[in-house]
Parts: sequence; structure tokens; C-alpha cells
Amino acid sequence: MKPNRTLRRSLIGLGLLSAALTAFFALRPTPAYAHEATCPRCKLDVVQDTDEIDNEVPLRYGRKRIEYRCIMCALAEAKTKYKNDLSILAPSSVKGKPVVLTRKDGQWSVAPETAVFVGVPGSHTECQIRFRAMTDRAAFDAYVAKHAEILKGAEPLTFEQLLEMAK
Amino acid sequence: MNWTATTCAALALVSAAGLAFSQEEETPKPIPRQALEPPPKELPRWMRDPRLGEIYPRRGRYNFDVYRIEPLARDLNAIAVGHSMVYEAIVTGGAERLETQTYAIVDRVLRHPPKLMPAERSISPTFGRKYAFLEKVFDWTHVLHAQTVDVLASPRMTHAEKDAEIEALWNFYFDSVPYAITPLPMNMEYLDAQSYSGAFRKRYPKVNGLFWGYHWLQGAMYDMLYGATPLEQRLQYEVVGEQYRTVELYRTDRDFMPMFADTSPQFARRFPKIANAFDNLHMLHDLVNDILADPTLGELERDRQIQRAVWMILASTHAHESPMERDPHNALHDHRHFEGLPGMGMMKMSTPELMYMQGFGWMNLTECAHCSVRLPEDWSEGVGATVSAQGWTMNVRCVLCARDMAAETPGRAILRIATEDPTQILILISDEEGHWSSVRKDPVFLEVEGSHADCSDWSRAFTSRAAFDAYLKANADNPDLKGAKPLTLEEWSEREGKKPDTYARPKGPVPNPYRIEEGEAR
Repeated sequence: MKPNRTLRRSLIGLGLLSAALTAFFALRPTPAYAHEATCPRCKLDVVQDTDEIDNEVPLRYGRKRIEYRCIMCALAEAKTKYKNDLSILAPSSVKGKPVVLTRKDGQWSVAPETAVFVGVPGSHTECQIRFRAMTDRAAFDAYVAKHAEILKGAEPLTFEQLLEMAK
Repeated sequence: MNWTATTCAALALVSAAGLAFSQEEETPKPIPRQALEPPPKELPRWMRDPRLGEIYPRRGRYNFDVYRIEPLARDLNAIAVGHSMVYEAIVTGGAERLETQTYAIVDRVLRHPPKLMPAERSISPTFGRKYAFLEKVFDWTHVLHAQTVDVLASPRMTHAEKDAEIEALWNFYFDSVPYAITPLPMNMEYLDAQSYSGAFRKRYPKVNGLFWGYHWLQGAMYDMLYGATPLEQRLQYEVVGEQYRTVELYRTDRDFMPMFADTSPQFARRFPKIANAFDNLHMLHDLVNDILADPTLGELERDRQIQRAVWMILASTHAHESPMERDPHNALHDHRHFEGLPGMGMMKMSTPELMYMQGFGWMNLTECAHCSVRLPEDWSEGVGATVSAQGWTMNVRCVLCARDMAAETPGRAILRIATEDPTQILILISDEEGHWSSVRKDPVFLEVEGSHADCSDWSRAFTSRAAFDAYLKANADNPDLKGAKPLTLEEWSEREGKKPDTYARPKGPVPNPYRIEEGEAR
């Protein structure tokens, strides 16, 4: 009888805990990273970084750190809205390893130098897949294979080609 | 075992039922479009009086001090011309040319604003004669607008004197005439759900954009002036005026008219009656515009509906009613306001906590826009700030949130920050690259970054080093502040906080309540 009573108490406790947790998680607002905003260029929501991949494209201009939805939006505004030196942290296919695009005295540089770019025009709702920096050609091939439906037949672009596309 | 299983199931059901109930209780439904209603039979007698019934504005040494910020004064003068020209064109058969010829003329005035304020009735004599009762309401509330701005622009009055005089101006406005606008928060969703609502913005989007641009400036100027020195006022207007002249006047994509507490939250918290009266005035403009633009209304019906529109927002219509009171059967008498914000009535599908804001989505107005921690009730304890950029103004809890939110936004920005001295607001203005400047000598900052649950303890601004030291001394038992160093404006500006650990994005009942009919995703 004694073990049964203990078991019953434990189960009641577990039941209460699970009900409380269910209620807590169901009622609380969706946690998110600050500051979730819309892209200044395309006005769509900036897709947030996840544990697996970075999506936000921060553009640093002086002490500003403006987040864009994709590298095309950031480059287009870099060409038209910002006159002085700036840098763009273009998320790559590797979490925490962005490709850094820097404009100093009007001259662009890319780090790492092995970087290539995905640039496949299409629906802007998929822009963070269609336009992305890759640390090298191997990463590009793997990424295109992973997103074969959207990026079918994609060729690697140089930074100059991507910059030309950005309007 | 059976008992346990039953208990678990019951608890799960209770929690699910609780959730369903709370959703059913809290999910607001849109107010349906209202059928056309006649004005009440017993309208106030003054509405039939064709005389202007003018009252001389309250005497004061501050009158016309707005001219000390001449670009603002001129822009306000142009607004008066713009309003009048459009109304005169509508009632003299010029509605067809509103978006072309009239718009071009008004735009020229806005770009070359007049030096002096014109008498509106000299520009719109036909409109003034036809709707004398409406002109009385407009004119008298515009006097309140002008005089409150004069007080705020006065270089000769202290902060306390300005507060007291603005209270006196409100009483003068409210007590002197029977045609004052109600200071109660009104349900904006209901007022904008009339059978004719939206007609003007649909037929004349550019001219409607101008009207809403005027109303943006007439709201935004209050926080810009409040607690600022004359030099700070002029410097801020370089930013605000440019935003107004280049962006706000020409926007045709707004979901709704600009609300006073959105553009000047600090002033709206301090003077909620004035904030509500100005929102109700601006809503009256929208009601009248929509009535005049609705092609289904004949001339007689238009006149009747304009009478009803005026009646709906008059103080006398809501006499003996109070803020937060609500007639569940008549949304005209819904005077609920947002929690912690008595200066704003309910908006479309909002709850007292949650409101949809264009460009931001659903927001909880009691929480910091950057870290989601609850905002202070007032700024008297040196906590709280606002961030103005790109035409919006947001409340934040600490100076780190203010700085970082501005850094995440393109363009110039203005921070208005509470200090240890309730009469001294620290105003910082940034350039396009986010470099901050202040006309105040040597402000001091505290920043020892930790969890944003306590951000107002470790992130603050002070008017002096002595005030900083006094704060640390008073909080000597707070281990997080041990060894905190005073930061200069330059040192503080170079910092960048982590993403707040407390941020949570609220979810509303629909993605965008203003675009339900279009089925728009956001």
C-alpha cells in the first residue's frame, strides 16, 4: 500500500506541474530577440537569427547598426542612402561566420577573399535564401544543393556582380 | 491510478478552458460599420447661432512666443492656410480639382510658409458661413493649440510655471464657451466606423496625407518643446521640421491619423485632457472630411451629418461621464483608455494593454519598446526616456534602451531622457551616423549592463557628477553598481548593449487590424 501511495502522490505532483507548465507556456507571449523590426528597404519582417543559421543582415554606419532582411536590401541602401564608410555583416551558411563587406573611402573590400555569393532573383519573401554570402565555393555548392528547389542552376557570383545587381 | 489520471485530465481541461476563456474574453472584434444616424433633435442652441462668438485668447506674456522658433511658427501658419484652402475648394464646387490644382497651391504654400498666421475665415469665407458652428469649434480649439505652444516656447517661464499655465489654459478653454471638445478619451475605432468613414482618404489620398501630416506635426511639437531650452527647441526642430516637410506631409500609406500620445507621449501623460481634446479635434476633421467626400450623401444630409459629427465630440455630449467609463451598448460613450496612458482612447481592435502601431505591429504600451520591461508610471524618479526617429516616438525604460533603439534605426534621432531632477530633461540629438550631441554641459551616464529586468537601476543619466555620486551612495547596497564609473557622453555613446534578455513580442488577434478587408499579411 505504501509504495502505491507514494507513486500516486508523485503522479499527482507531475500532473499539477505539467498543467501549470502548459498554462504558463500557452499564455505567455512569444519570446523573441530584440529588436524585431521590419526591413528599412523592403518593409518585410527581418527574419531573425536561429540557433542553426544567421539571417539578420546588420549594416554598420558610424554608430548605427541597421538590420536588413537580406544582403540585397543592405547593398541597395548602401549605394543610395549612406555616403560615408560602412560595413555589412552578411550572414553566410555557417552560424557566427559572416562575410564582412567593407566600404572605405568609396572602395569595397570583402573578407574572407574566398567569398562568393548566391544571387537568384525571385520572390522577395525568400530573399534571405536567394541572396546570401558564402565563405567559399564549396560552401556555395553545398548551400545550393540544400536549397535546390529555389536555387536550381545558380552560379556563384563575385561581389562586383552582386553589387551591380543591387538596386 | 484512476484518480490520478482523472485529476490530470481535469487539470488539463481546466487549463485549456481557462485559456479559451481568456482568449474569448480578451480578443476584441472589429466594430462594424455603422448605419447612418440622424443628429439628435435637441442640438445645443449655439449650433444654430450664425455669429462667430469669438473670445479673446487668455492674456499672457507668452503669447506669440512660438515665433522664437520661426520655422515652426511658419509651418503652423501654412497649416492654417492649407486647411482653409481645401475646405473652401470643397464647398465652392472645387472638389474635382482637390488632388491636382488645389493640392499644388497648398503644397506651394507649405514649401513657402507665410510669416504671419492668417485668419482662416478670410481664406475660407464660404465654408465659414455655411458651417459657422463647426468653425467655432475648430477656431476655439486651435486657440488652445496656439497658446499651449506659446507657453512651451516661452523663454521667460520656468518649467513649473509652464505646467501651471497650461493647466490654466485648459480651464480657460473648457469653461469659457459651450463649444469645447470633450477631454475624455473616445473610441477611435467607433468614430472611424461611420457609414461615410474613409471616403476622403480614398478619394483624395494626397490631400488627406497633407491633413494627417499637419496633425502629425501638431502632435509631435509638444514633446519637442516640453522641458527643453529655447536652443534645444530650435535644434530639435531642425530634425522634426525636416521629417515633417520631407516625409510626413507626403505620406499616403498611413493606416490611421497620427495620435497625439503616439507623437508626444510625455506631454500626453502629463496633460491627458489636452491630448484627448486634440485627438478628438483631429478626428472631427476626419469625420467632416469624410462626410464632404461621400458621394452618396446629398447636401442636406451632409449638413445634418456634420452637425452630428460635431455633437459627437462635444464636451456637453459627454457631460458627467468619466475616463474608463463605458456604455457597453453605445461605443460613442466608450471612454476607456490604454493602461497607463489616459491621453489616448481605444484604437481598432485594441485592448487596454495592446495596440497596433504601423511599422511596429502589436505593442504593449505599458512596456519598454526595446526590452519589454514595464515602464515607469512617471519620470519623477529619474527613470524613463523616449526615442524619436523616422516620425515615430517610443517609450523606453532606460538610457541603454534609448541609445540602442536609436542606433538600430536609420537617420537622425532625438532622445528625451529623465534625470534625477524632474525639471531637467536631458535631450540628445544624433546625426545620420548616430553621433550624439547635447547642449547641456557635461551630462554623466551610468551603465553596468546586466539583466534588463533591472535596467533602470544600472542604466541612467544624470545632470552632473555630483548627482551620479549621490545615486551610487544611495544605492551602496546594490552589488551590481559596485565600482561603477561615471561615463561622459562620448564614452557612453561608443557603447552598444547586448540584445535585451527580456524582450517578448506581443501577438495581436490579427496581423494588421487596418488591413483586414484587404487580407494583407502584415
